[in-house]
Amino acid sequence: MNKRINATNVFRTYGTIIAGVIIIIMFSILRPQSFATISNAINITRQISLLVVISIGATLIMAVEEFDLSIGAMASLGGVLAAKLSVNGIPVIFALLIALAICFIIGYVNGYIVTKFKVLSFITTLAMGTIIGGFTFWFTGGSTVFENIPKGFTFLGTKTVLSLPLLSIIMLLLTILFWFIMRHTVFGRKLYAIGGNEVAAQVSGLNVKMNKNLAFALCGSMAALTGMLTASRLGSAHPTGGDGFFLSAYAAVFLGRTVFKEGVPTIWGTFIGAAILGILANGLTILQIPTFMQDILTGMIIITAVVVQKMGANKHE
Amino acid sequence: MLLRTDGVTKKFGSMYALKDIDINIEAGEIHGLVGENGAGKSTLIKILTGVYHLDEGSMIWEGKKVELSHPMDSHRLGINVIHQDRNLIPSFNGIENIYLGLDYEKTGIRVNWGKMQEKVEKLIEELGISVSLNKPASSLTPPEKTLLEMIRAMMTECKLLILDEPTASLTDKEAQILFKTVLRLKNKGTSILYVTHRLDEIFQLTDRITVFKNGQRVKTLETKHTDKDGLISLMTDNWTRENYDNKRDKGEVVLSVRNITSRDQKVKDASFEVHAGEILGLFGLGGSGRTELLECIYGLRSMERGCIQIDQQEVKISNPAQAIKSGMVLICEDRRGMALVGGLSVKDNILLSNIDQYAQKGILNEKREIDDANAKIKSLSIKTTGYKQPVIELSGGNQQKVVFAKALMTNPKIFLCDEPTQAVDVKTRAEIHKLLEEKAKEGNAVVFVSSDLKEVLEIADSVQIIAAGRTRDCLVNHNLAGEKVLQCCYVE
Repeated sequence: MNKRINATNVFRTYGTIIAGVIIIIMFSILRPQSFATISNAINITRQISLLVVISIGATLIMAVEEFDLSIGAMASLGGVLAAKLSVNGIPVIFALLIALAICFIIGYVNGYIVTKFKVLSFITTLAMGTIIGGFTFWFTGGSTVFENIPKGFTFLGTKTVLSLPLLSIIMLLLTILFWFIMRHTVFGRKLYAIGGNEVAAQVSGLNVKMNKNLAFALCGSMAALTGMLTASRLGSAHPTGGDGFFLSAYAAVFLGRTVFKEGVPTIWGTFIGAAILGILANGLTILQIPTFMQDILTGMIIITAVVVQKMGANKHE
Repeated sequence: MLLRTDGVTKKFGSMYALKDIDINIEAGEIHGLVGENGAGKSTLIKILTGVYHLDEGSMIWEGKKVELSHPMDSHRLGINVIHQDRNLIPSFNGIENIYLGLDYEKTGIRVNWGKMQEKVEKLIEELGISVSLNKPASSLTPPEKTLLEMIRAMMTECKLLILDEPTASLTDKEAQILFKTVLRLKNKGTSILYVTHRLDEIFQLTDRITVFKNGQRVKTLETKHTDKDGLISLMTDNWTRENYDNKRDKGEVVLSVRNITSRDQKVKDASFEVHAGEILGLFGLGGSGRTELLECIYGLRSMERGCIQIDQQEVKISNPAQAIKSGMVLICEDRRGMALVGGLSVKDNILLSNIDQYAQKGILNEKREIDDANAKIKSLSIKTTGYKQPVIELSGGNQQKVVFAKALMTNPKIFLCDEPTQAVDVKTRAEIHKLLEEKAKEGNAVVFVSSDLKEVLEIADSVQIIAAGRTRDCLVNHNLAGEKVLQCCYVE
């Protein structure tokens, strides 16, 4: 009897990780030749790198219990802006920084509207995403930016260091950086306090508005960075190239919330969430499962994870 | 006899909310129920309406013993309640609201609005009420909303109508409209249990009055054989503070509040001052604006006008951060909702207000954090498995100690405490009293809000009365009787 309760407890606490391990073992047995290889593992890290970067931003926003629906459009804008600027002769590094700064400001405006006028972030960022999409289309005339892209622009997205893709290294560094920010800085502590109980945070003297605005700004920046890295990897920037990231990013964060028993969004949780999604996509592709089937399975796994965790949380109350 | 209760008892944990209550309500009478905050009036209403289940005792309805386990049960008997916070859907019109929870009239599968309107209008005529049925509830005046609820209650056979503070948000003139309807219902044979803080209404309307105190029934009297002073003396223990020997020296005025009016008019022209070394009790009945006044001072509620001085200097406070910087701290009434971040650890909650002091260039010094949090856990003897434990897992009393630990971290000189001992155990309550007395002795100013009059008299040096959003008399707590304080509250 006791043992059984313990088993359910273990599953509730580490269920997501256990599920991840089961998925890896399953694919390794089914396709030992193509899935369970070092080169495929490295390949997976590159495949998930872009998702991880955008999901880190989404983690910050979810930590303060808000939503940013504009991250997909923001990623597209970031890629297009950086590409356009470099095509026009601006050195790549400055092109990246300018695009990043612009998206930081747009993100900040998102936050400002939400905190100043107490508008739901859902609506604000939905509208902002539409506006950004319109601007991106205007800049590009709706076509992909690919002519005259300087060679340096593709450096970040294609270079490897000691046979590791530079993208994977960037992903790892950013994950560690933001883990440190969320875990060991005042800013991170304040974001979690605001997300945990906004009123209490305010009564305790925290500047809720400013910290939330910063979370929105950083979220926008990370989305833009994702768009740039995507463009750098492909050597071209499509005006809707980042849109597809939006849903997977939140899927990664929600899955990540279930990794640790506290149920709050954490950077490593998100990383694991994105990794599980990436491994799943990779393995199912190797098994030649059609894309629609992959979507169905991925969706079902996310719902299962969230439901299992909710059941654990309800029991806690 | 319509309703009789025999020895009804309700406990929450080890606390008696109601003890051995015997009341009886005759058919067609208006029965007043009065008592201080926490006397057990709301608990009784909840038992009569099937929200709470009684622990001991029984209910006799029209001579038969009944068990209520769900609000539907009491509704079926013919008991309806109208709460002070009204239960209407703002976008629905009168007919739609009246038919909430009732079966719609239909022809085939189509709703027959005409027939429903006819039925309601017929009832309205019988009751002699005039209220617009075609406007959405959101555009009705407060008494119209109450009348609408009364119509709804009368749509099914209603034998006992419970009115819980029905005039709380009404002006005198609006209340008169309501009274007329109440009397008409009585003449039609409906019994009414009328619960209110406003004693004038009790004398205007009721046939008999039951007085509750500390969860017990003190007495039931004929209205015509009693007066206001007699009633008040029954509602309170004649309790005065005994050991007045540990008197503190009263210093300069630390906090002075002048003519504060909140934007939402919940606080009107309120003024008071607190000296160094003083514990000022702020006492008012439910809905008197005591919490709102503290929130204005602390920058949580917008002010229309008013002036706040700290150490004779005028300060502008528009948010809690500024209030804390000026040396204030607010212990909120709503502990879980406004004071604690439940999911965060004990340590993170204690250090929430002064977290910036633990960081260099934004990076936290966790060792110093742990040391300071542990020191507070020890000095306030907070019972926890460790500083890492999520604060939500702590007991109510220990949660409140965490709130105080957080407050002390910013070294405040003005403590604004709103119901600081609410839902904490006796031991913690004594510890909180001792802490506040020590803080006052050190030369700080304490404002202490409690709806427990006895507690206010136990701890406060003087008692500032607040009623209907306005500050009234300020009484020195020297041989001060509870009766005197209540009389000041009940003056119209």
